[in-house]
Amino acid sequence: MALLFGLIFFVQSLAFAQNAMLTNIIVTNTRDDLLVYLKVEGAFIEKMKKAILSGVPTTFSFYIRFYQARNFWFDNEVEDIKVTNTIKYDNLKEEFIVNRSWEKSGPQVTRSFDEAQNLMKEVDSLKVVPLKQLEKGGHYQIRAKAKLSKVTLPFYLHYVFFFVSLWDFETDWYTVDFVY
Amino acid sequence: MVHCRLRLLKETVKMTNNRYKKPVSFISEEEMKRRKREVIISVVIVAVVALLTFAENRIIHFGAGIPVSNTILMFILININLLLLILLIFLVFRNLVKLLFDRKRKVMGTKLRTRLVVAFIALSLLPTIVLFFFSINFITTSIEFWFNVPVEQALENSLNVGRSLYWHSEESSRFFMEKISYQITTKGLLDTKNLKSLSRYIQVVQREFNFNAIEIYTNNADRITFALASELEDKPFGVLSADNLQKEIPQKGVRTVSEIIPSGELIRTIGTIPFGSKPANSEAFIVLARLMPPDLANSMSSISRGFEEYQQIKLLKTPIQVTYYITLSIVALLVIFCSVWFGFYMAKTITIPIRVLAEGIRRVKEGDLSVNVPMVADDEIGSLVDSFNKMTKDLRIGRDQLELSARLLQEQNIEIENRRQYMEIVLKNVSAGVITLDSGGFISTMNKSAEKMLNLKSEDILHKSYKKLLDGPLLELAEEVMDNLRISRNDAVELPLKLTIDGRPMSFIMHVNALKDDADRHMGIVMVFDDLTELEKAQRMAAWREVARRIAHEVKNPLTPISLSAQRLKRKYSDRLKESVFDECTQTIADHVDLIRNLVDEFSSFARFPTANPKPCDLPPIIEETLALYKEGHHRINFEFNITDEIPSLNLDRQQIKQAMINLVDNAIASIRNVGRIVITLTHDPILKIVRIEIADDGAGISDEGKTRLFEPYFSTKKAGMGLGLTIVSTIVSDHNGRISVQDNKPKGAKFVIELPV
Repeated sequence: MALLFGLIFFVQSLAFAQNAMLTNIIVTNTRDDLLVYLKVEGAFIEKMKKAILSGVPTTFSFYIRFYQARNFWFDNEVEDIKVTNTIKYDNLKEEFIVNRSWEKSGPQVTRSFDEAQNLMKEVDSLKVVPLKQLEKGGHYQIRAKAKLSKVTLPFYLHYVFFFVSLWDFETDWYTVDFVY
Repeated sequence: MVHCRLRLLKETVKMTNNRYKKPVSFISEEEMKRRKREVIISVVIVAVVALLTFAENRIIHFGAGIPVSNTILMFILININLLLLILLIFLVFRNLVKLLFDRKRKVMGTKLRTRLVVAFIALSLLPTIVLFFFSINFITTSIEFWFNVPVEQALENSLNVGRSLYWHSEESSRFFMEKISYQITTKGLLDTKNLKSLSRYIQVVQREFNFNAIEIYTNNADRITFALASELEDKPFGVLSADNLQKEIPQKGVRTVSEIIPSGELIRTIGTIPFGSKPANSEAFIVLARLMPPDLANSMSSISRGFEEYQQIKLLKTPIQVTYYITLSIVALLVIFCSVWFGFYMAKTITIPIRVLAEGIRRVKEGDLSVNVPMVADDEIGSLVDSFNKMTKDLRIGRDQLELSARLLQEQNIEIENRRQYMEIVLKNVSAGVITLDSGGFISTMNKSAEKMLNLKSEDILHKSYKKLLDGPLLELAEEVMDNLRISRNDAVELPLKLTIDGRPMSFIMHVNALKDDADRHMGIVMVFDDLTELEKAQRMAAWREVARRIAHEVKNPLTPISLSAQRLKRKYSDRLKESVFDECTQTIADHVDLIRNLVDEFSSFARFPTANPKPCDLPPIIEETLALYKEGHHRINFEFNITDEIPSLNLDRQQIKQAMINLVDNAIASIRNVGRIVITLTHDPILKIVRIEIADDGAGISDEGKTRLFEPYFSTKKAGMGLGLTIVSTIVSDHNGRISVQDNKPKGAKFVIELPV
């Protein structure tokens, strides 16, 4: 029995060895809006790539929370945004369809897996909040994290093999503080 | 959930404790302990649940697609399963440890329990292991079978067919596009003035090359003109977005996009004019569209889906296998632990009654028959217990009865023993001698009187046959008596018997009785004999005295006239006859008359012998005086007088005793012809309280017949004797309450023994 538990823990620790992280978090602004750029690194492992190439639709979720920092009190949550990047491989046409929820232009189709991966990893010029909502000289904080939120297996197997989604990842919360 | 589990465990704990629980109305120490234990168990369980939840949380990542309620349900189920498993493991290990301890302490029944547990474990392990490995093998084979090569190959081929269909479509479009692009460029159809010609040209081309649609866009992504086949004419036909057109075109010069529309899949191949130029440098874009029929489109998509699903399943091959293995392992472990626990339970249900029974048997062995083993089961062991209880009850009753019988027997034995002792005492003290013989003629008992009378020791003759002990005339007599008893119907024979024992004549009257049991079987004989020696002597003496008195009376009377007549004859005729013969005859008559008178006087004195008048006096001087009378006259005879002990003074009639001694010494001298020796020994026996006088001579001795008649009157071996000397001695001794006997003196002569009481 102990062996069984040990085995499960061991396998699990292997799964957790992948270190996904957010990089290139850039907060900038246009004339009207506050924009965020994100990139998740280390999310694609071989197994996940294999799964995607097998036609498993895979979704990355990005959580962006925008806080107004306050002294001696909880920070005020101004905005809570969740965006998703979903990739699906079309075997027949040998092309990747990446659907980014925050892009209005619709799904992007590419034959290059690298390009598709880059599309999945990035969130570009995401509008967080209109600038007019911000106070001049105010302290603000943006917290972001990315995680694999959904792997859809055929025949609803993800309901049965809930503990075998071994390529799961979830990054820590990353924060960027700034004064407007 | 936790609460429920706690309650469940509390129930279990309660169940295990119920055996020891006593109904109490207040919180006893035991109750306090129990509560404390429950609190500890609760804390442990909460900790275990927390740990399990943490572990599960770390291990199991429920996908976002699974609802929260499902997640909670899953947690509950897993926790319950794990808890049950842990509880089971705990129970099994607890029992195992208990069994080991019991074995060490050599508790009754542990060996059987161990054997049963081992048997159960072996019985459950074997099929479980076989089934487990078979299942593992089966699953592996099945999974391998599902993913076998032909299926994958077929799917891949189908996919390749689909792909080549698209490829061919694109290739043909590229071929025609190159031609059309060339024509448009060379004919300058893109000029605004040639717009109509362009429209006409693409309509012709569309019909000629059988495209479903041909579109021409400017390099700003504005559609200049298009031609549609009849199938698409009355349906909406959208334009391509600028992004789509502006995207980089691969090396081969065309790019294909597809779109699902109600009438099928519309495959649009995008190219530039002039052909092969980059989108940024192009003058215009040309799009050739082919419509794939809905059936074909569906087939294609199902091929794609099938392949994808197959690939995904293949991807899940290892996780599925692992999951199956884990599930199988858990089930196998569950089965093993269940069977082990069941083995313990079964062993307990079998061994506990046996242990109780063994305890009962041990107590019975120690003699406690009040054991009543409680009924523990209604099976064969139950009936065994029932039989055991019945047996102990029967034993108890039997033992009680046995004790009663033993007590009765003991009482009877005591009574019999008392009787036996009484009989022995009676036999010992009875004056008659009693000797019994068993049916084989062996002497079985002999009383003290018989020993004394016959001068024998019982141990010398007991268990010996009379045939060996007797010889000569006595054996003949014994045989005669035995035959008489056997033949005649009489059970009793009476006969007088005269014996010489140690030289002493003895006279007995013997009663021989045959002993017969209730079944009239011969058991032996009993001989009772009385010593009649003294009685006979006394009777004979009395008779002789009477005879003597009569003779004295009858003979004395005629003597005086005879004597007077002889004196008258002498006086009257002596002078006249002058015959010497006459004088001699008369003188002889007178002398013999005197002799006869003396004789008669002697008889008379014997008949009128005075009774003794005893007074205390010393015996040795009397003997010495007697010897002094003879020492002078008999020089050739050596007289000895020995006194070995100190002789007490006795009650004696001095005159009579001296007479008796004179008679005895006189007899002894008479028996010695010439030279001889007379020894008188005086001894004192303080135990028997007698003084013994032995007068021994080395003369002629006395024959056996003479010995029996020696003390009778008128028995004499001397010519001149009247035979009254020893008779008088015997009378004197009797008058002094003593005994006189005669024995042979070894090596020759006779010995008279007088015993006088002190």
